[in-house]
Order: sequence, then structure tokens, then C-alpha cells
Amino acid sequence: MIKRPYIYADNAATTRLDPLSLDAMLPFLNEEFGNASSPYSFSRSAKKALQRAREQIAECIGALPEEIYFTSGGSESNNWAIKGLAETRSAVGRHIITSAIEHHAVLNSCRHLKMHGWEVTYLVPDKEGHILPSMLAASIRPDTTCISIMLANNEIGTIEDISALSPFATEYRIPFHTDAVQAIGHVHVDVQSLGIDMLSASAHKFNGPKGIGFLFVRKGTPLVPLIDGGQQEYGYRAGTENVAAVVGMAVALKKNCERMEQNSKRLRCMKKTFSELILQAIQAAVFNGDARRRLPGHISLSLPEISGEALLHFLDLRRIAVSTGAACNSETIESSHVLNAIGLSESLAKGTVRITFGANNAEDDPVIVANEIIAYYNKMLKP
Amino acid sequence: MDHRKQKCFACGCNILEKDVVALNRKLFGEKVEKFFCLPCLAESLGVEVDELLEKIEEFKAEGCKLFS
Repeated sequence: MIKRPYIYADNAATTRLDPLSLDAMLPFLNEEFGNASSPYSFSRSAKKALQRAREQIAECIGALPEEIYFTSGGSESNNWAIKGLAETRSAVGRHIITSAIEHHAVLNSCRHLKMHGWEVTYLVPDKEGHILPSMLAASIRPDTTCISIMLANNEIGTIEDISALSPFATEYRIPFHTDAVQAIGHVHVDVQSLGIDMLSASAHKFNGPKGIGFLFVRKGTPLVPLIDGGQQEYGYRAGTENVAAVVGMAVALKKNCERMEQNSKRLRCMKKTFSELILQAIQAAVFNGDARRRLPGHISLSLPEISGEALLHFLDLRRIAVSTGAACNSETIESSHVLNAIGLSESLAKGTVRITFGANNAEDDPVIVANEIIAYYNKMLKP
Repeated sequence: MDHRKQKCFACGCNILEKDVVALNRKLFGEKVEKFFCLPCLAESLGVEVDELLEKIEEFKAEGCKLFS
């Protein structure tokens, strides 16, 4: 029987809460339970903590504190940004530009708008997952109301060159939104150098708590209230603030940003170890995404003639958590829209697994995971 | 395919339960040709039989057609 601890290698799905983040949250779940919007002194510490968190987050991404709006996470931020921009700019037109490899929170927000009369252009990436600036430039129309291109892809790890794309939006005065859920806390993000107007983030992707995130909205960018009610979040998102989660998010982001260089270096080494072991044993293995401009610790591996879903379940029984490039529903196995968009064959797409190492992985985890995959592959394909 | 005709590749016993045949397909792909009975499968994976039974129940709850 397997004696070692469970290896969690699905850090793109979620990450373990950082102990510092937990410690910072606890007072606001216990003695400091005041409502941050209340006027008496008992709520002062909650109010101050909220403001401090807003400042810390803003500092981490080069924004102003008043440009940070707390949300429940990445999906809410994406929905708010895209549907909000469409609504406020409907007088300009009803055309949206996005990419074919976005997260479903973006794709389904666009689909919702499409059902209500908007036109959507889906830019198709190159085989490494990059959206080409020339392609974006060619798709801009006089009635384009917003552009939404993700910063880093959740399935293949490719980091888009947003600073090469955003100038086109600026030139035509079109608000540019980026889904930075996978990137924030893992790679350096500066909203000024990226040249964007809106950015979505989610705390649980960078060792913060679940159910909290934020939306950066550059001053002057049109925004509609998401939830009507009180004056929380400058009157744009009413509802009593989750102070503990906000504080936990800020602490986790600050820590991740401070340790980004060393974490990144370590994760790149782990990825290198893993990749070398796989390629030595399985020459037909394919690694997806851009080999250089990619998230550290993120691996998208395609193996011919095997089922990624079967491999996932095998690894689970071997006490290893990874993700797959295909989703099995009750009737069929559907390969990922991202893998299809980069032109991966159906067979390779169905044989794809995503392995994402994170700050909590042990040094020998890549070796164990690689050896388990190799053992499975040999069991499947060698007589 | 009649699952009762499947013999365990390791011990040669008859695999009587269709869920075990389905589990083999789930873990090794739908085109798998060698099947294992539950104890041999557990041994080859280094897990307890109970863990495999739990997995079968999870797949059924998810509505996987292999277990229908």
C-alpha cells in the first residue's frame, strides 16, 4: 500500500491557504467581528483592515487603492467587467472581442451578451496559445465596446503579451479587460505597464481564502453597479464586506509577491526535472503552450494513445491529484476548447493532463509524479 | 459484450461483476483488452479493494455511462 502523503499537483485549480493568511484572518472571525460600515469605534479595526488590504493589493499590482473593488472571486469579476462594459457602452456599439481560449467565466459572459444581441469575435491563438497583436488590430471595429484577453491561460500556462495588445485598445479608446486569475501572485503584474483598464483576480489561486477576489478598474473606466444596496465598494457592490477574507487575500498576495522570484525559480526547476524524466522515457510526449513565456510550475502534457481521464483516475488511486484536458460527462468525453483552439489533435487532446506544482510541493514530487505517469504509460502501451 | 466472459489477466478467474469491467475501462481506457478482477486490480495499483469500491460508487454517482 502507498505510504507517502497525497501529492497535490493541481495548483491551477486551487492552492492551499497560507498559514500567515489564516493567522491574519482569525481575529476578524472572532473578537474583531464588527461591521466595517458601522460608525462606532468597535468597527474601527475592521474598517482599517479593509482599507489596509485595499492599499496592499493596489501596491502589489501598481494600482491606486480606490481602483480595487472586492468581489467573490474571478468568475464574478469577469462577469462584472464584461457585462458591465457592454451595458455602459451599448450606445457606442454591440461588438466584443475576446479569445477562443478564455475561461468559461469570460466565454459564458460573452455568450450571454450574444443571446441579447451583441456580436462576439473570438480570436484564435497560434499553436503556443498566443493571441497575435495583428489579429486583434484587424478585428477592431467602430462598434467594438470592449476587449477581454486573459493574462495567462489556465490549461496550457501560456502568458499572453498583453502590453503588445493593449495599445490597440488605447488607440481606439476601447476598454481592455484581462482575466489575470492564473497569473496574479505567480508572475509580476503591473497594471500600468500592461496598459489595461480592468483586471480580474481570485485569492484562492495564490494561497488566499476561497470566495474572495477583486476587480481592478482604472479610474475613468465606465462601471455599472453589480449589486444595489448600501455604499460598500463605493456603492458599486453592496453587501457587508467579508473582512476576514479580504485581509487573508491581501496577506497572501503580498507574501506571494515578495517571494515570487524564489518561488518561481524553484517551480521552474521542478518543471524541468519532471519534463526531462518524461521525455527520457516517453519520446512521443508533447508539452503544450509556450516553453518560455509560461506560468512557473505549470505543465500541460499530452501522451498519444492514452486517455487523460483514465490517467487522472489512476493517479488519484496512486494518491496524486492532477487535472485533465478533457471533461467526461455522462455520455461523452469532450476535449478542452483550449486544446482544440491551439490545434492539438483530438487524440492528443484526449490524452492530456495538467500538472501544476505550487509553493507547497516537496522537491521530490515531480520525480514521483513523473515516475507514476511513466509506469502507467508503460503498463498501457508496452506488451 | 458479455462481461461474464472476461477473465482476469492476472489470476484467470471469471470477472462476474460488470462494475469491475467498467472500472478497468475507466482506469485503463475504453479500448483496454486486459482486465483484472478487483483483488488483482487493487494489488497492481497498490491500493485496498475498499478504495476501488468507493471509486466505483463515485463514478456511478457522477452518472458515468460505463457503470450504467
